[in-house]
Amino acid sequence: MWTRRMFLKAGGITLFTLGSGPQFLTRAALAAPGRRRKVLVTIFQRGAMDGLMAVPPLDDALRRLRPRLAMSAARSAGDEAVLDLGTGFGLHPAFAPLLPLWKEKRLAVVHAVGSPDPTRSHFDAQDYMETGTPGRKGTASGWLNRAAGLLGHEGSPLRAVAMTSALPRSLYGDEPAIAVTDLADFRLRQPKAGEGFEALYQKTSQELLRGTASETFEAVEMLSAAEIASYRPAPGAVYPRSPLGEAMRQIALLIKADVGLEVAFAESGGWDTHVQQGTVQGSFARRARDLSEAVHAFWTDLGSRQDDVLLTTMTEFGRTVRENGSGGTDHGHGSCLFVLGNRVQGGKVHGTFPGLDSKVLFEGRDLPVTTDFRSVFCELAGGHLGVRDDVTLFPGWTGRRLPLLRA
Amino acid sequence: MRALTLTATLLLLVAAGRPSGTSFPWQQAGLTERQAAAHLLNRFAYGPRPGEVDRIVETGLERWFERQLDAELPDRRLEERLRELPALEMPSAQIIETYSRFAGDQEHRPQRELMGQLMAQKLWRAVESENQLAEVMTDFWFNHFNVSLQDNQSRPYLLSYERDAVRPHALGRVRDLLGATARHPAMLLYLDNARSSAAPGAPTTFERARARQQERRPRGLNENYARELLELHTLGVDGGYTQKDVVEVARAFTGWSMLPPGSFRKDVERRARRAGRMGFQVEGEFLFRADLHDAGEKTVFGRRLPAGRGIEDGEAVLDLLAVHPSTARHLATKLAVRFVSDQPPKALVDRLTAVYLESGGDVRRLLRTIAESPDFWAPAAVGAKIKSPLELTASALRVVDGRVEDPRATLRWIAEMGQPLYAYQAPTGYPDRAEAWVNTGSLLNRLNFGLQLAAGRVQGVDLDLSKLNGGREPDSREAALRTYAGLLMPGRDVEPSIKTLTPMANDPGLAEKAKPLEQVVGAILGSPEFQRR
Repeated sequence: MWTRRMFLKAGGITLFTLGSGPQFLTRAALAAPGRRRKVLVTIFQRGAMDGLMAVPPLDDALRRLRPRLAMSAARSAGDEAVLDLGTGFGLHPAFAPLLPLWKEKRLAVVHAVGSPDPTRSHFDAQDYMETGTPGRKGTASGWLNRAAGLLGHEGSPLRAVAMTSALPRSLYGDEPAIAVTDLADFRLRQPKAGEGFEALYQKTSQELLRGTASETFEAVEMLSAAEIASYRPAPGAVYPRSPLGEAMRQIALLIKADVGLEVAFAESGGWDTHVQQGTVQGSFARRARDLSEAVHAFWTDLGSRQDDVLLTTMTEFGRTVRENGSGGTDHGHGSCLFVLGNRVQGGKVHGTFPGLDSKVLFEGRDLPVTTDFRSVFCELAGGHLGVRDDVTLFPGWTGRRLPLLRA
Repeated sequence: MRALTLTATLLLLVAAGRPSGTSFPWQQAGLTERQAAAHLLNRFAYGPRPGEVDRIVETGLERWFERQLDAELPDRRLEERLRELPALEMPSAQIIETYSRFAGDQEHRPQRELMGQLMAQKLWRAVESENQLAEVMTDFWFNHFNVSLQDNQSRPYLLSYERDAVRPHALGRVRDLLGATARHPAMLLYLDNARSSAAPGAPTTFERARARQQERRPRGLNENYARELLELHTLGVDGGYTQKDVVEVARAFTGWSMLPPGSFRKDVERRARRAGRMGFQVEGEFLFRADLHDAGEKTVFGRRLPAGRGIEDGEAVLDLLAVHPSTARHLATKLAVRFVSDQPPKALVDRLTAVYLESGGDVRRLLRTIAESPDFWAPAAVGAKIKSPLELTASALRVVDGRVEDPRATLRWIAEMGQPLYAYQAPTGYPDRAEAWVNTGSLLNRLNFGLQLAAGRVQGVDLDLSKLNGGREPDSREAALRTYAGLLMPGRDVEPSIKTLTPMANDPGLAEKAKPLEQVVGAILGSPEFQRR
């Protein structure tokens, strides 16, 4: 097997004679597996999560607008009702696994967050949130890819990973990024062909193929060393048996294996609750439980690595303040998101919640957006990953970061 | 003597009514005729089929190319295959009626069947069509005017979009492509023009009764299509337009809309046809709504579009854009990148730009210019492009004479290599450069695809490796390597590949699972050389 050292030896001459050298050569040569990195983990809640059901304001306004969907606040322990966050807001009971993290002040909520673009199309709104350029469809790259490109140090072949079958729009762009649903698939189908191919690609005159092959075999080697098949999560980390649970388990594995992961992406589906959304039980509650159990297990699994990780959720828009005629809610505007990390100013609902008075509602029907999602993502990429160039990260945006992290 | 032959050929060609009589300058570049034929097949087709390089040498390279430009070769085998796909024959409205997103009842078929047919036809055509260049160019233009199946609304219109708006003009004129894509529901929905209308209060071509207008939802301009039309479809990002131009172009396209799907369609169509005198227009699914068109005066790139007009505004903008020098340069560059190299020589782009302007955007003339240019045949250009996953898959299947009986597994491989068909989300289309195709995850899948295909483990694909060599089993691995490298990479210098592949072919450890011939072919298909075209 070709090892990193042998590659350095073989590639070293080229590297030094060319001075700066082709980018991938430098990248492959300088990447240091085994090095701990700060990691930004993102979960996209596809379908538009009802932020007012996730983190409802605890006053009577919502009950009037949603006679069938509003839940009462818990009066005693074990009561299946809205959990009181102690800040005038509640938390849907299915998010209960996250409550301890809230109490430990690691988990924060940003409310009335979203895009300044008024579209209520899932496709457009997701596109805008992933490119980071609301209203502009032609942006070639996604903001997570740009963030990876702005890290200012050489990356590992496993720097940016999406636990999805196709590369998400967030990771389109110039930085190498991998989409994979099962890390066990990241291997040669005939393992013994590996050495042969590695030697073969080492000899090609096509630089890109040579460099990428070297990274590929390095990644395969790293993952085989990570012993994916025999991975056991830390005690107490019980992932739900769901696509999201599986994705989060593998992200934890990558983080703990020190393969150089810095940007991770996962998705959670089914938030488009037009019909029979339910209250403490029902379709929203099932999605919420899956998400919170997956995040809780992930956080527990990280153990001593929690300091390195910052997790955020995002969703394309919120849902109508009023319930509709079929026990659900329709496409709205502002929603909320969760941010989790040891440096997060947790236990707090950030942003400006404008209330639900009919005069403040967006187009007379939706929670307005008072915090641009970019001011959150900028803060996370800047404060956690050290990205400084907000203009490149979010072209055309002139807003300011929302302070969410402790110094 | 050579000059004489050349003159005679020229005369013959002129006599045969061929518009061009030049021969391709491959000799000057130092290529052999077989190498030249292989290069041609690797660029203007999805790679050679068994024996095809020699057949083209026989036919004559230029003749083969002209036939590809004509795209009228009989294609019986393919047509038979495509008969398995009923949606290909259905008018757009029938497709929408037949395939429903939430189907399951007896009247409707699930929408994924429609997507399955769309992808199957693309794969089958790429692998089997005799008119290869038509397929290559359909792929090129679809990607240029990209629409994504990730968009729920556009999705059911994609098959018709490719079939009715792109394919008929793939070897035609750019103006026709612009017109057909601008009017198609897939594009109207994907880039939101269907919901763009004159700003509130602006005069429209046909004024409705005020009371009726007021009860409608708030209306206004949507700039998405206008912006991408300028930035992506025509002028290019540095094409010299301003935000003001975007707004003016968006105003020109207000009212370019579509018939609603479902039960209202017939009624709306009838009323719109009756309102023809008021400026309404219906063509297929396209509907021009005079009541939403901004009738005010507009100025686009210094040209005045007078007030009071209707659909002519958008058409005038397309006329203007189609022959704009920035459009010429933008498309010349894209074509040179697709057919020559990721960094095409400036002289070639200049030449193509000039031909574009002179011919008013004639695709055939542009392609012929490429094939006649020394830059196309330069040794540095041969093998300079990295195959896209579709190109890799189609070229592998073609060269091993693989028959795709069930395309699903093959399509999954193409997706895993990084090119899920019709699914690129951004209107930019897939980037056409090596870096976009070659990254850690995709390269691994390329190697795996080669191994699995050779081992007969890609489901739904029939192939017989020994048949490629007339049924003769080579007597050693080295002989197999030599023979099959020549068969699978015809017209290439295979000596370096043979040298580097020999240890791999001989590795006894490998033989445990794979049969020797499978092992050799898997190594060749996964080799760096086979990733290039």
